[in-house]
Amino acid sequence: MGTYVIRRSLQAIPLLIGISIVIFLLLQMTPGGPLASSEGGGGRATAERTERLRAQYGLDDPLPVQYLNWAGGIVTGDWGTSFNTGRPVLEAIADRLPTTLLLTGLAFGVSLLIALPIGILAATRQYSVFDYVSSGLSFVGVATPSFWFGLMLLFLFSFELGWLPSSGLEDLREQHVGLAAVWDRMSHLIMPVAVLALISTAQLTRYVRGAMLDVLHQDYVRTARGSGLSERTVVVRHAFRNAAIPVVTVAVLMIPELFLGAVITESIFAIPGMGRLFIESADLRDYPVLLGILIIAALLVVMANLLADVLYGLLDPRITYE
Amino acid sequence: MSSNVQALIRAAPRAGRWSLVLVAAAAALGLAACSSGGSDQDGADQGGPKKGGTALIAMVQEAGAMNPLFNDQSGSFLSFWAQEPLFVARPDGSFDPVLAAEIPTEENGGVANDGRTVTFKLREGVTWSDGKPYTAEDVKFTFDVIRDPDSTAIPPSAYDLVESVEAVDDVTVRVQMKKPNPYFLGLFQQTLPKHEFDSTAVTTEHPQAQLPLGTGPFVFEEFDEGDKITLKRNESYWNREKRPVYLDGITLKITPDAQAAISAFQRGEFDTVFFVTSGDLPDLTKARDNGAPIEVTVQETKSHVEWLWLNGSDNGDHSKPHPVLGDPAVREAIDLGIDRKAVIDEVLEGFGELNGSVFYSGLANYDIPAAPFDAARANKLLDEAGWERGNDGIRSKDGVRASLRYQTVTGDQTRELYQQIVQQNLEDIGIEVKINNVPSNLMFGTFEEGGRLARGNFDIMMSRDGYVVDPIEEGWASIFTCDQRPSKSNPGGQSVTHWCNEEYDALVQEAGSTVDPERRKAPYEQAARLFARERPALPLYSSTWGWAWSTRLKGVSKDYFDGVWRSAGDWYLAR
Repeated sequence: MGTYVIRRSLQAIPLLIGISIVIFLLLQMTPGGPLASSEGGGGRATAERTERLRAQYGLDDPLPVQYLNWAGGIVTGDWGTSFNTGRPVLEAIADRLPTTLLLTGLAFGVSLLIALPIGILAATRQYSVFDYVSSGLSFVGVATPSFWFGLMLLFLFSFELGWLPSSGLEDLREQHVGLAAVWDRMSHLIMPVAVLALISTAQLTRYVRGAMLDVLHQDYVRTARGSGLSERTVVVRHAFRNAAIPVVTVAVLMIPELFLGAVITESIFAIPGMGRLFIESADLRDYPVLLGILIIAALLVVMANLLADVLYGLLDPRITYE
Repeated sequence: MSSNVQALIRAAPRAGRWSLVLVAAAAALGLAACSSGGSDQDGADQGGPKKGGTALIAMVQEAGAMNPLFNDQSGSFLSFWAQEPLFVARPDGSFDPVLAAEIPTEENGGVANDGRTVTFKLREGVTWSDGKPYTAEDVKFTFDVIRDPDSTAIPPSAYDLVESVEAVDDVTVRVQMKKPNPYFLGLFQQTLPKHEFDSTAVTTEHPQAQLPLGTGPFVFEEFDEGDKITLKRNESYWNREKRPVYLDGITLKITPDAQAAISAFQRGEFDTVFFVTSGDLPDLTKARDNGAPIEVTVQETKSHVEWLWLNGSDNGDHSKPHPVLGDPAVREAIDLGIDRKAVIDEVLEGFGELNGSVFYSGLANYDIPAAPFDAARANKLLDEAGWERGNDGIRSKDGVRASLRYQTVTGDQTRELYQQIVQQNLEDIGIEVKINNVPSNLMFGTFEEGGRLARGNFDIMMSRDGYVVDPIEEGWASIFTCDQRPSKSNPGGQSVTHWCNEEYDALVQEAGSTVDPERRKAPYEQAARLFARERPALPLYSSTWGWAWSTRLKGVSKDYFDGVWRSAGDWYLAR
């Protein structure tokens, strides 16, 4: 197993290099650049200033040189500095990462908590009303654009009913203590987490139901039932354990998806996470920060794939890696 | 009661009539609410401005560095809460001294040598918020930073004319200009505290570029990038006798979704929004009339004008006119063919004004009427100029079809609505219009970046511009001169029209060569009339500029050229 992980990790290196070249070139190909001025007077840059900034940002170097400078920095831990704020990219990302991790972590947890029981119940009661309703809802969930869902939640719970705050992670007017502080944080997280968890919950419910149905029709389940085990034991101990194997794979691969979904959620609810940083940087063509975030996203996808494969092997003793 | 009101008025000496009305009204209400009085001096005990509390402001654009000397994003505009200017501009384009003791004139000896030498007298007793004295050395140092080629300062263009700055004594600054600098009162809107720097090579990473120290009513406390910016009251404010600074602080919460920010504001989640656009005003006004706890006000003077930049070149080639727009008849027909009134009434719900002048604000505001909507005359002009209608109703001349791209920044729904009105108007006179909006980066990018305006790769582009105290501010008048046309040999050129007219150049040159405001007005007026005749750009409307704030927030005044924001030192929260 150990050698397998090492070998897969080594194989990921050329993949990551390839990805880095592609994202670097794609960013260069986007129209406009970091020196564009803004609308409404104030931003008229003089020629001198533009030239100075170009030199300072290294935008005058040939592309391969720019790429090697950047890639070399990534490896040695110098991810460059933001064109916009002048802060080191790693620092800027590290500032925002915890918020995004909190959001994605909660959303992932909520997805599992909702999808597992519903999926299992729906499978054990196939063609029941519960099954139809849960299937219908999960189709709706998969099909709902998350930005629209977020705006609807905002409209209903913040603007119409006034129950939940519309932005940020804490009340900026007063400092709360004790239970009030816990509620303050929770009330700010409910809608963002709901939006982020929506699609993954719906997808996962479908997967759990499908996987359970596959297993429930297997011979060994019938045998277990035939030997007089309680339905509960059959479903939880015998069926679900086996159904969990494909579900785990899918769930782990959802993590990078959730992470990227945070881009939309954080923008709607004004949450200062990595997703927001990405949008801000894209608006300003802040290449170093954009590249940093994209590389992290790429790493995450590669690592989630590896993790899924490893977990697969751990859960299913029939699979061995050499 | 009257003495109480007077005490309050004394407490807000720099506020204009508007805020006096507000303050007086607040005082009257306050008195009605609490019956018996204590000491007349202490208004705070008596229903006057309450001390304490924090104003929470939604900020719809990411701020970046807060020192405008190093950053031109809109958020840095608010730095004046901490950084005070030498002079502040009023809505009519006049200036009042803030950190300066008086306005330099020829009479008081402040302006000499044909306007080439200006002496600023600084106010005595001004201190930085850290307690250190504010002196002429700081002013000189600021200029040294601007001039240092290793610093990344992006100073306003008025500094281009400055030759040298000298600290004569602690409160006297002598500025030598290369040539007369009519906009000298706009210099030193920010001063850098010399004691916070080791060298003049200051870059954007410097803490003073991020959160500058100043002399103002508030002090920057913290910048949580992408989340919020907090300011606290400057407890040792030099002007606190006259301006007590009621708020404990101001928190700017970055809320990128402008629509969500405005909705949350209407519900009272924020005290105001930086900033509301003219497109928001109809909704806000309705919300107020329906009982939302907000105040809405508009500026009486004209504000930013939405311009249609007509390309004066053939795809950036200045030796050839634009195949369609190069014909003066076409430009005039477009001018006459657009129903501006419909744009203002139907899309902006009345929140806009007609304007026909390139100089319309501050010092040089000439009331040139906008072209009247007259499709019949537009059609006649085009007929006479030889543009004949084809089978599909679109005109052409010598094989050139009157088909134009019409572009602005993507994502602005209000603009998209009136773009359609303009499109329909122009199709009615036989000009085909293709709306093809682009991201702002692509529109305003530099020549090297392939920006469409800079490259001349457009037919009609639309953006807001020109709200300046003085046509010389930010080079507004001179971006239309011939030498500003961007090209391979002049990539830094700022012209957005690629237009060239030597008569215009001469007039702008003349107006810029003297500091006497009265002598400058005539050439600017002639230049504005020439501009309106030649039509290198067409004004669509002047936006109504407005602000909205929560009824919780009091003491808001709009007696400043750039809006209500500078009055924050006088803001307080209702009880």
